[in-house]
Amino acid sequence: MAADIDLELVQLRKVYPGGTVAVEGFDLRVKRGEFISFVGPSGCGKTTTLRMIAGLESISSGDLLIRNRNFTDVPAEKRPTATIFQNYAIFPHMTVWENVAFGLRVRKLPSAEIKRRVDAIIDKLELGSVAGAKEGALAGGQKQRLALARGLVTEPDILLLDEPLGALDANLRKSIQEELKLLQRNLGLTFVFVTHAQSEALSMGDRVVVMNAGKVEQISAPFELYTRPQSPFVARFIGRNNIIDGTLAEAAADRAVIATRFGPLSGLPTFDRGKTVTGHAAYAVVPSEYVGIEAVGGAERQDMAGVDGTCTALDPVGQVVYVSVRLDDALEVRLETHREMLSGRGIAPGTPVHLSWRPDRVTIVADAA
Amino acid sequence: MHQLKGLRLVLAAYTALFIAFLYGPFVIMAILSFQQGPEGGPQFPIIAWSLFWYKHVLGIAPPSRVAPLPIGEALTRSLILAFATMVVSTILGTLTAQAFRRRFKGSSFVFYLIILGMMVPGVLLGLGMALVAEQAGIPRTWWGTAFVLHVVYTYPFCFLVMLAIFNRFDASVEEASWSLGVTPATTFRKITFPMIFPGVLSAMLFAFTLSYDEFPRTLFTAGSQVTIPIAIYGTFAVEIHPNLFAFGVLTTLFSFALLTIYGVLMALSVRRAAARSIGLQEEIA
Repeated sequence: MAADIDLELVQLRKVYPGGTVAVEGFDLRVKRGEFISFVGPSGCGKTTTLRMIAGLESISSGDLLIRNRNFTDVPAEKRPTATIFQNYAIFPHMTVWENVAFGLRVRKLPSAEIKRRVDAIIDKLELGSVAGAKEGALAGGQKQRLALARGLVTEPDILLLDEPLGALDANLRKSIQEELKLLQRNLGLTFVFVTHAQSEALSMGDRVVVMNAGKVEQISAPFELYTRPQSPFVARFIGRNNIIDGTLAEAAADRAVIATRFGPLSGLPTFDRGKTVTGHAAYAVVPSEYVGIEAVGGAERQDMAGVDGTCTALDPVGQVVYVSVRLDDALEVRLETHREMLSGRGIAPGTPVHLSWRPDRVTIVADAA
Repeated sequence: MHQLKGLRLVLAAYTALFIAFLYGPFVIMAILSFQQGPEGGPQFPIIAWSLFWYKHVLGIAPPSRVAPLPIGEALTRSLILAFATMVVSTILGTLTAQAFRRRFKGSSFVFYLIILGMMVPGVLLGLGMALVAEQAGIPRTWWGTAFVLHVVYTYPFCFLVMLAIFNRFDASVEEASWSLGVTPATTFRKITFPMIFPGVLSAMLFAFTLSYDEFPRTLFTAGSQVTIPIAIYGTFAVEIHPNLFAFGVLTTLFSFALLTIYGVLMALSVRRAAARSIGLQEEIA
């Protein structure tokens, strides 16, 4: 059962010499063949954590286990990991072929085997036509694939990717994203993928770790992360959520109610009920796709919750229309809907509108006490 | 448009003047080195063109009232000294710059301590070294006291060159190598050093040329066996003949030869890397 855990972090902590805590209390278990993404704003500690796994950054306290062996104090070159850097770190004085062969040549493998393995991976990643070229002659996507080939040829247990798509243009990023996911599935290799872009994290990760200020906020599958945030930070950072603030009025295991300026709102609580008590600040989180909009005066459905506001702006982008609605002087929300849903409903900037949603779509989150 | 033209004219004149001052002395010296000998002196007009002074420097001119330049042994000493200084200073400079890639406690103090070696006036350093040697009973020799000062003087130049090279050096390339399972020592040999090699060549060139024509530090510390700049200076005390100019021309040609070697090595280091990768593929195939 524990045999197929590739990576385990136990209370991982990084303190820089100046006393700055970069990462703390990081617990994680990654199954073999899992694609796990780390996402968070810059400076949240995601890259530091990746570098601690790679051995490029020392671990201040806690344990790092790879396939049940403790690697906490093992130097980078003795770890069964390979790292892909954002700038690819291609060796500029070597050709593509030599770059890939380098990791095997220093292992003193027989040259026939080196050739077989290098040729195989160069073939797999379609680098054959540039095998004799150097970094200067390569396009962005080719450098990216070279970095992957160079890492994969050494057959690591875990591939660590540090913002590997950051330097590519948007179109290329999309296609490489798909290639990368496909490659990972075919190889059945464990990937740890660091990104600041939530779309990359959500579309590529089997699970996503959201980090903020050196701490893990949530570890969930993408859909759960999207629909059931566990903290106000995650609710703001992931997806497009409408967030209404209030104070906790009552909390049960499957239903919590918060008192807001717009009346009581209920939803599924994801906070620790042992720590967050009645009267504590809490937030109702509604993904903007789940919010319906109509002009005030229509028949309100009993099974729906909702609030009233004033439409302030309509921003159509193709078929999708983003609607801004002012609830009161302190709160304006933005929701997305389709062009057809708005036509003929008399919704225009300045008109009063009613927003509604199914109460079970709502998540109630609270800051840890 | 008109103003631009005026500005261009001024800049062109400035550049012409700059080049005149840069090459003027050498050109005058080169012309005068072809003065007729032994009766012709170091001034215009040229009585007649001849290669007499070149023959004189090389010791194949017929004996005359002008004594031969005492340069044979001095030249050998200078070349050995410059070579040894180059090797030691480049190694020291490269290793120190490598150490400075990470900030360490007191690093800025150490930085200025090293830079002091090129900032302190040479005469003071030479004189001071002579006094220390005198007090400590160390004999003053070109391969001892003078060599130490040459290293003290050229090491900061090598250090600064390598510091600039490492400044532009992307450390993630080394991290990539470690993460491929390559030890730091092998990484330095196979990745770091080939990448900084052009910088190392420049540091070597600096150290060699600075040591080769170093004067004030050597004057006080070389003892009786002098180097070439001191030997030449010694001849000034008697009388200046165009044989000195002939020697100057030969030395400059030697410097150009060194620069050419430098250029060829640079080009080769690029081409060899390319050839090696092709060779490797063929060898494995």
